[in-house]
Amino acid sequence: MLNNRFSLLVLGVAFITLSSCSKNDPAPVTVQSQTITNLPADPPSGGYDPMNGQPIGVTKKYTFFSFKTGAIVLNADSATANWDIGFNGTTILVNSGTSGPGTAGAQVVTGIFDELANAPTTGYLTDNKTTVPATYAIPKGSGNGWYNYNGATNVISPIAGRIIVVKTSEGKYAKMEILSYYKDSPVSPASTDVDRYYTFRYVYQSGTGTSFK
Amino acid sequence: MPGPPIFAPVKTALIASVLILLATYSFAQEADTLAPQQLEALVVTATRTERTMGALPMLVMVVPKMQIRTMGSLRLTEVLTEQTGLAVVPQVNGQGSGIQIQGLNPDYTLILLNGEPLIGRYTGSLELSRIAVGNIKQIEIVKGPSSSLYGSDALAGVVNIITERPDGTRGSFYSRYGTNQTLDLTADYGTTSGKWGFYVFGNRYSTHGYDLSPQNYGNTVSPFHSYTGSARISYSFSPRTELVLSGRYFREKQQYDFEVLTGNNEKILTTGDGITSDWNFNPVLTHRFNERTKVTARLYATHYQTETRLVNPATDTLYYTDDFRQSFLRPELNLEYFLGRQHDFTVGAGANLESVETMRYGDAITRHQETKYAFLQDEWTPMDRLNVIAGARYDYNTVYGSQLSPKLSLRYELGKHVALKASYGVGFKAPDFRQLYLNFNNSAAGGYSVLGTEVVEARLAQMDAQGLISGYLIDPALLGNLEAERSQAFNVGARADFFSKLVMDVNLFHNSINNLIETQAVAVTTANQTIYSYRNIKRVYTQGLEANLTYPLSRKISLSLGYQLLYAKDADVVDKVERGEVYWRDPVTLVTRRLQPDEYFGLYNRSRHMGNFKVFYNDPSGWEASARVIYRGPYGMGDIRGNIQGEVLPPSDINGNGILDTHDHFVSGYALVNLSLARVLRSGLRFQVGVDNLFDYTDPIYIPNIPGRLVYASVGFTFQKKNKSNVNP
Repeated sequence: MLNNRFSLLVLGVAFITLSSCSKNDPAPVTVQSQTITNLPADPPSGGYDPMNGQPIGVTKKYTFFSFKTGAIVLNADSATANWDIGFNGTTILVNSGTSGPGTAGAQVVTGIFDELANAPTTGYLTDNKTTVPATYAIPKGSGNGWYNYNGATNVISPIAGRIIVVKTSEGKYAKMEILSYYKDSPVSPASTDVDRYYTFRYVYQSGTGTSFK
Repeated sequence: MPGPPIFAPVKTALIASVLILLATYSFAQEADTLAPQQLEALVVTATRTERTMGALPMLVMVVPKMQIRTMGSLRLTEVLTEQTGLAVVPQVNGQGSGIQIQGLNPDYTLILLNGEPLIGRYTGSLELSRIAVGNIKQIEIVKGPSSSLYGSDALAGVVNIITERPDGTRGSFYSRYGTNQTLDLTADYGTTSGKWGFYVFGNRYSTHGYDLSPQNYGNTVSPFHSYTGSARISYSFSPRTELVLSGRYFREKQQYDFEVLTGNNEKILTTGDGITSDWNFNPVLTHRFNERTKVTARLYATHYQTETRLVNPATDTLYYTDDFRQSFLRPELNLEYFLGRQHDFTVGAGANLESVETMRYGDAITRHQETKYAFLQDEWTPMDRLNVIAGARYDYNTVYGSQLSPKLSLRYELGKHVALKASYGVGFKAPDFRQLYLNFNNSAAGGYSVLGTEVVEARLAQMDAQGLISGYLIDPALLGNLEAERSQAFNVGARADFFSKLVMDVNLFHNSINNLIETQAVAVTTANQTIYSYRNIKRVYTQGLEANLTYPLSRKISLSLGYQLLYAKDADVVDKVERGEVYWRDPVTLVTRRLQPDEYFGLYNRSRHMGNFKVFYNDPSGWEASARVIYRGPYGMGDIRGNIQGEVLPPSDINGNGILDTHDHFVSGYALVNLSLARVLRSGLRFQVGVDNLFDYTDPIYIPNIPGRLVYASVGFTFQKKNKSNVNP
C-alpha cells in the first residue's frame, strides 16, 4: 500500500493536482485526507554511539514540509515562509517565533482525526527557545506532545488521539496525525527498527475557513 | 491406593467451589508426622507471639514443612509460586524473581527471616531463590498492611520464614538431583541439652542453568552454585530468661556469557561472573518479669553485596562492572503486657540504620539512612466471639519525614461454623536509595539519564552550566522532597466450615496508593536525550477477591482449590478513559478510535485470574504424593527492560496510548502441572521422585524464568531421639 518510500512524491503530486482544481475559490473546498510515508527527519547514517547514545552522522538539519504543496521544501528555503513545519528527530518546529520567519502557529488537540470537523480559531502557539524552559508549539518530551517514549525499550510511539492543528503563514488550516516514527511503519516497532522516518496523515483546507470536511 | 473413590467427592468439591469461588489455606490442620499432633498452625508473624491461625483477625496463610517436603521444593520461589494470590514475577531487568501479592509489585512485600527483614533489593525486588527451604519450619504469609510490628515495605503483606528450632535430637541428610544437572545437598542437626539448644544447617545448590533460546549466545539462566549455612544457639538462664543467637551466611557464584547489544546494534560477546553474598546475625534476649510482662531485646545485623564483572574476550578488556553493597542494623526493644484477660499489649521501639554503596550512584560515596520507630499494638478480646487487634506505628526518617500508620483488624464469630474478618491498615514504603541517589546514564540507542531526587538539582545545575541542557520539561523546583508512598488497605472476609470438613475462606481486598513514585521526565539535553527523575505522582489501586477451599477427603487425602480475581489499575487512567480522553490506534490499519471504559485492562504484569488446584496424599504407612496445578491468566508486559539473552522484548502496548487495553498484545495464560511421590521407610530413609512442569510449558521471550520440564529424584535420611524438651519460656 503506502509502504513505499517514494509514495511521498507520488502523493505530493496527486495533491497538487487536486488542490489546483480549486484555485481562486474563496469558499471552503471539500478536502481529502492525504498520507505521507517515510518522511526522513535526519536519520543517523552511522547509527547511535554506544557510549552516550548520541546519533552518529546526523546533519542536525530539519526536513521542512509545506501543506500547500504537500511536499518537502528544500533546506535552502529554510529562511522563507515557504514551509509550515520542520522535522528533526522527535522535534517538530513551526515556521514562526524563534524557528522561522513565517507567521504559522500550531497546537496539539486531543480527539479522533476524522471527527475534528473544524480547526480551532484560537490557541495557536509559536516556538520560543529563549524562555526557560523553552516552549514549543508542539511540546517536546514524552507524553507532552505527539509521542510517548518507552525508556525500557527505547521506542517512540505516536500517542493515539493527538492531532496537531497548524495555521499556516497564509492563514490556512491543516490538521495532521502522526502514525509512525519508524521506516515503513512496522506494526510493533523495536529500537532496532530504523527511526526518524515519519508517516503521518493530514488534511489541508486550501480554501478559506476552518472546515476540515 | 487412592484410586476411583476420589472422583465423586472431587466433582462435588469442584462444583461447590466454582459456585462460590472458594479455596484453601491449605494444610493448616495437616498433621506433621514428626511433630506432635497439632490441630491448627501456630503463627507468630502477626503478633510476634504464637497464636492459632484461625483466631487471628488478619488474612494469614501458613505453609508447613511437611507440605514443602511433599512438594519436593528446594528454594523459596518454588514454594511461593504455588500459593493462592501470589505471583512470581521477574524483576525490571528481566532477571530473577520477586513476589506479587494482591497485585502489588514485589517491592511492596516485606520478606522476613524469623521476623527480621532480608535485604538486597538490588533492582527493587528481593531475589527469592537466595533462600533454601531445607531448614524452614513453616512459611507464614500475612496479606495486607495489618500488623503494626513491621514498617516500610509491608504494604502488600509480609512473608515470614520461620526456621527450625531443636526439639530433642534430630539430624537429617538430603540429596536431590534433577534436570539441568541441578544438585542439592542439605544437612542439618539439632539437639537440646539441659539449658542449651543447638541447631546447624548447611546447603549446597548447584545448577547448570538452562537455555530457552539456543539461537542466542549465552544461557537464559547461567550456571551457578551457592552455599547456605545457618546456626542457632539458645541458652535458658532460667525458666524466665532465654538468649537465642542465630546467623546465616550465603554465597552464590554465577558464570555469565552475555551478548551485549551496543547502540550501534553491534554485538559484543562477553563473559564473566557475578558473586552475591549475604550474612546476618541476630541475638534475641527474652525475659519474663512475671506472668503479665515479657520483654524482648533484639539486635539484627545484616549485609548484602553483589558484584558483576563482564570481560570482552576478543580484546581481553573489562566491558562492564557493577557493584552493590548494602548494610542494615536494627536494635529493637519490645514489651508485651497482659492487662486482665482482655488485653494483650505489645509496645516496641527501635531504629534501622542502613547504608548503600554502588557505582550506579556515580560516586564512591556510601549513602546512609536512619529510621527510628515506635509501635503499640493491643490484642483485645472484649467478648468471646469478638477479637480485635488495634495498633499504630510511628516511623521517623531524616530524608523522607515521618509516617504514622494506624491499623485495625476485627474477627467476629457469627456462629460455630462461620467467622467474619475485617481489617484496615495504612502501610508505607520509603523511597529506596535508587530513587534518592541514582546517577545513571543509559548509553544505549536513544540514550537517557536517571537522577535520584537528592542529586537531581545539583546535577542539573552542573549540566546547565556546561550548556548541555536544551530545555526543561517541568519546573525543576517541583523536584526533590520525595515522600514515602502510602497505601490504604481494606480487607473483608469470611471463613466457614461445612459438615465440619469443607473449609472455605473468602476475602475481598482493596489497596490504594495515592502518591506512587513514578519516573518523571525533567529535561532534554542538547543531544536530545531525556533526563528523568522521580516524583510522587501516580495513583493506583488493586482490588479483587481471593477464595480458598480445603476439603479433607479422608485422613490421607486432602484437596484444595485457590482462586484470585484481580483488578489493578491506574486511577488517573481510569478517570481519563471515563472522560473519553484516551484513544487507541489499530497498528495495522492505523485508524484511531476512542477507548471504552471496559477496554482498559489495567497495570502491566497482573493477571485477572489466577488459581491452583492441589491434591495431597499422606499415608502413615509411609507414602506421600502430590499433584498440583498452578494457573496464571494472561497479562500484559510493559515495564520489563528486556530478556536476559538480549532478545528484543516487544511491549504489550501496540496501539499508541501507553496503557494496557484489551486490544493490546497479552502474554498467554498458562497452567503448570507438578507431581511428586515419596516413600518413607521406618529406618528414616526417604525416597522421592517428582516432575515439575509436566507438560514442558515455556515462553522463552516473555517468561524466561519458567524452565521447561524438571524431573528429579531425591534420597534423604532422618534420625531422631526425643528429649524431654525444655518448655520454651
